[in-house]
Amino acid sequence: MNYSASEEEAGLPDKIALERDVAARLKGFDNHRRNLIPILQDIQDHFLYLAPEAILMVAEHIGIGASEVYGVATFYNQFRFHPPGRHPIKVCLGTACHVRGGDIILENFERKLGISDGETTTDREFSIERVACVGCCALAPVAVVDENIQGHMAPSKVEGIVLGYKIERDRIDRERENEPGEPA
Amino acid sequence: MENITLFINGKGVSCPTGSSLLEAAELNGIKIPRLCYHPELKPLGGCRLCLVEDEKTGKILASCVMPASPNMSILTDTPRINRHRRNIVRLMMAEHPESCIVCNKGNRCQLRQIAAQLGLGQTGLYHMPNYKPIEQANPFIIRDLTKCVLCGKCIRADHELVQTGAIDYNFRGFKSRPLTLHDLPLEQSNCTFCGTCVSICPTGALAPKNLTHAGTPERESDSVCGFCGVGCSLTLGVIGKQIVETNPSHLPETLNGATLCVRGHFAHDFLNAEQRLTQPLMRAEDKLAPVSWNEAVNHVASRLLEIKKTFGPQSIGFLGSSKCTNEENYLFQKIARTVLETNNVDNGGYLSGRSCLDLIDSRTGGGWRVSPLSNLEKAESIVVIGADPGNSAPVVGYYIRRTAKKGIPMIVVDPRRTDLVPFSTVWLRILPERDLQLINCLAALLWKRFGHDTGFIDRFTENFTKYSEGLSSFNHQRLCVEAGVDMISLERVVELLKGKKIAFVIGHGILQQRNAARAADAILNLMLMTGSLGTDTGGLYLLARENNQAGALDMGSAPDLLPGRENLGDSRQRQRFERAWEVRLSPDQGLNAIRMITEAEKGTLKALYIMGENPLRSLPQPERVLKALQNLEFLVVQDILKTETSTVAHVVLPGASFSEKAGSYTNMEGRIQCVEPVVSPPLEARPDWMILDMVSEKMGRFTRYDSLEKIRAEIVRHIPEYQGLSNGKKTFWINNTSKKGLFQPDGQGEPISFFPVAFAEDRPHDDNYPFTAILGSTRFHLGSGTRTSHSKRIGNFGKNGHVEISPSDGLELNLVNGDRIRIQSRHGSIERELILEKGLAQGLVLAPIGFEENDAMKLLPLTPFEDRTSRGLKTCQVRIDKIQ
Ligand code: SF4
Ligand code: SF4
Ligand code: SF4
Ligand code: FES
Ligand code: FES
Repeated sequence: MNYSASEEEAGLPDKIALERDVAARLKGFDNHRRNLIPILQDIQDHFLYLAPEAILMVAEHIGIGASEVYGVATFYNQFRFHPPGRHPIKVCLGTACHVRGGDIILENFERKLGISDGETTTDREFSIERVACVGCCALAPVAVVDENIQGHMAPSKVEGIVLGYKIERDRIDRERENEPGEPA
Repeated sequence: MENITLFINGKGVSCPTGSSLLEAAELNGIKIPRLCYHPELKPLGGCRLCLVEDEKTGKILASCVMPASPNMSILTDTPRINRHRRNIVRLMMAEHPESCIVCNKGNRCQLRQIAAQLGLGQTGLYHMPNYKPIEQANPFIIRDLTKCVLCGKCIRADHELVQTGAIDYNFRGFKSRPLTLHDLPLEQSNCTFCGTCVSICPTGALAPKNLTHAGTPERESDSVCGFCGVGCSLTLGVIGKQIVETNPSHLPETLNGATLCVRGHFAHDFLNAEQRLTQPLMRAEDKLAPVSWNEAVNHVASRLLEIKKTFGPQSIGFLGSSKCTNEENYLFQKIARTVLETNNVDNGGYLSGRSCLDLIDSRTGGGWRVSPLSNLEKAESIVVIGADPGNSAPVVGYYIRRTAKKGIPMIVVDPRRTDLVPFSTVWLRILPERDLQLINCLAALLWKRFGHDTGFIDRFTENFTKYSEGLSSFNHQRLCVEAGVDMISLERVVELLKGKKIAFVIGHGILQQRNAARAADAILNLMLMTGSLGTDTGGLYLLARENNQAGALDMGSAPDLLPGRENLGDSRQRQRFERAWEVRLSPDQGLNAIRMITEAEKGTLKALYIMGENPLRSLPQPERVLKALQNLEFLVVQDILKTETSTVAHVVLPGASFSEKAGSYTNMEGRIQCVEPVVSPPLEARPDWMILDMVSEKMGRFTRYDSLEKIRAEIVRHIPEYQGLSNGKKTFWINNTSKKGLFQPDGQGEPISFFPVAFAEDRPHDDNYPFTAILGSTRFHLGSGTRTSHSKRIGNFGKNGHVEISPSDGLELNLVNGDRIRIQSRHGSIERELILEKGLAQGLVLAPIGFEENDAMKLLPLTPFEDRTSRGLKTCQVRIDKIQ
């Protein structure tokens, strides 16, 4: 099997390993329906998201359809279906931020990165998530990128943040190329 | 059940205990508006349109979920309720897009109907549709979920009725929608395109994808599905002279209720195919050219008589169809036997397990024949053996899944991981065609563990001792190894089945296999031992491939059977028909479907009259079949479609499809269903019985019937099982005429005999052909696929008959998904793309039939079943090579 470098860097277990790990975790639960949400939570805690393979395995474990598992999981905001990006972006849509145009910020991030809320870019660099109040309403509208609070967000700042990361990434790539001894 | 009384709108009414208020009202002719209620689904109470008012407490209740209780007093139509209803509908309308003009639900949209009933026009609300992209990449279903009112009927139908679980509610609040896993398009989900959700959806959110029209059909008429032996009840929607839509019928007590399968729902567009035959054709200078009916019929009659005169009656064969009506089959065999004086008459159903059927018929006196599918839901346990109903007879699959879901033990015996396996309690993954060993082993273990029903055995059977001695002599371990299953699973099955009646569902894996008759014998023995035969909580269900497979045999369309499945060798029966038909009948059985071809090959058969059959596609070794047909002096093909076979005929007679003629069909349950024409046949095509009537009149043996009633009267006179045909009912059951005590109401009568245990014959292994190919059907095609391949929708769908092998074999042969491979048997080869399929055991190849002119038949030899060298039609030994 082939994995792109970025997948390995992101520390994502490969599919077979993932299936093995999920199977091991499922052993901790009997197949009663009431375990569905605890199982999903456990998997998400461990893998940071619900991989498609994991959903299939949970469905088989409980003995219900995979679409049903997905239906339950989508009901709750806590579950993600994509692995978080290296730089998770959380856009606040709490009351204060909403009033100050948080949805415009969200839309700007979505457009800039070409993904929707809840998704991850294909290079696994960024993911976008909407959150409720992060507790600094005075700075509204707010976004949290990596763990840094970015206050008074504006469309131009969205550009700036994404560009900043891109420059950083290019620099690392260049350095790596120059390192001696690494195969091309 | 006890009744309770209550008051609805001031009137005292009664209803059975446990009814909901809505049902109570309905029973008493009071209509309450509703959107999310459906009689076959668990009530949801979601739409709140069915509100009623409790007069005593003033409470507003959702009547579909509120149980009726004694002395309640309910009002269904007060200003207060109406205000609520109107507001609910206004809100739905405010969320609904304004695309009614182009909606395929058209006038049948229940939202529109209810709005009209409540007198709603403009809502006066801010219009706020919740747009979702329209999904219509697949050829069957358009999903425009912007129109969804969240009644949940599709989801409940998908979960409760067909038990597929392709869709469920996703997200919540405004975003909530019935979606597939990961919101993928339907074709990337496990949806089977049964269309049940489409028919049940009250709005245009789910609609059939129609290639020819949008909107409401002009009229709708009931009919019966023309494909498989289940015989689902349908409603056909008509515009002008064309059938444009199919839905499950709304008749009460149909076997399929609100469900259908992809063929029944979407493949009937073959009826409007360009390849329909519309006028009689005759060969002139190597080309088929249109002629008048008169000319065609005269020619057929005179040529057949000529050939009979020159070469004798045995030089003519009649190959009929298990898709034609009972009346037509009766007439067909009668012409063969009386006018041309030959028993060379058979039908395409020959390929689907004649030997098994004969055996079961003779041992039970035919008493097993009435086996309503509704009993399957009452079964104490189910064993599905050699059957893949999810593909071959999907509606039977729904029954089994529903029963299994209730916690009834369900055992699947199959080398393949069929779609019933996830529902099964135990899957016994046997080696191909080792069913006999498995059944023997199961019976022996049940006997050892006292799993037999002594009362039943004493009362209804004989010769048990001999049989049980046979069972005791078995070596379980060895049988188990031979069958390829592990002892632990088998012991588990024995524990599950012990003391229970068993419903056996048997498919082509048994019917078409080499050991068919012996396996069927063993199953019958096991059923007798466990007291399962002839009971409502057990029973025998044989899947039939075609809609009138059972009826064709009942009518005597077989080389060895007279009408009523009477044995031709039985002189009393023969004399009865000799008197009735005023002819002499030869006691020698005629040629069966395959032998007609081999005799034509040899040149002893000179003429063949084929009705509704396409042997060039359905029989093994098509090149041989072609040569044989070309060897004939005279070939008549009567069919509805231009087929491989009709193109080599001397005369082609255009017949009518099930939707274009009247007649009756007998399904796998023993249910006889009469249909009326829904549209007229295209151009000059005529109902097949009329064509036969014309031909026989020309041959001058008996006078024309001119009416279906007269044929029916004759059937009723000669076939006691078909008495029901005389009373004008649309649906009825075949009469039981078995003399066996088991099938008598008072239990008095002949005992059924146990047969001594039988052993399997091993086949020599051929190292040149190391794989076993299983020829399986898919739900998109029926049988050889002559009709389904003319459905534009089925044809358009990206299924092109991939062959499957196990991933470990793939690894060994260095093959990956999508590789093109050649599958070669001793008799021929086919080329296909490959899929590696986890559910398949090593050494197996699954080759689907019906695709690419059904070329999978090239792999099999053209050998009649009764031949000792016959390997059956289900499996063959093959080798696999990659095509570079
Ligand atoms: S078509 Fe049938 S299988 Fe597909 S979603 Fe609808 S009900 Fe389910
Ligand atoms: S798609 Fe149709 S059946 Fe399904 S929930 Fe929506 S309106 Fe109801
Ligand atoms: S199960 Fe058979 S009879 Fe029913 S709709 Fe499908 S093909 Fe027709
Ligand atoms: S609402 Fe955004 S930080 Fe409080
Ligand atoms: S029909 Fe009763 S709530 Fe929908």
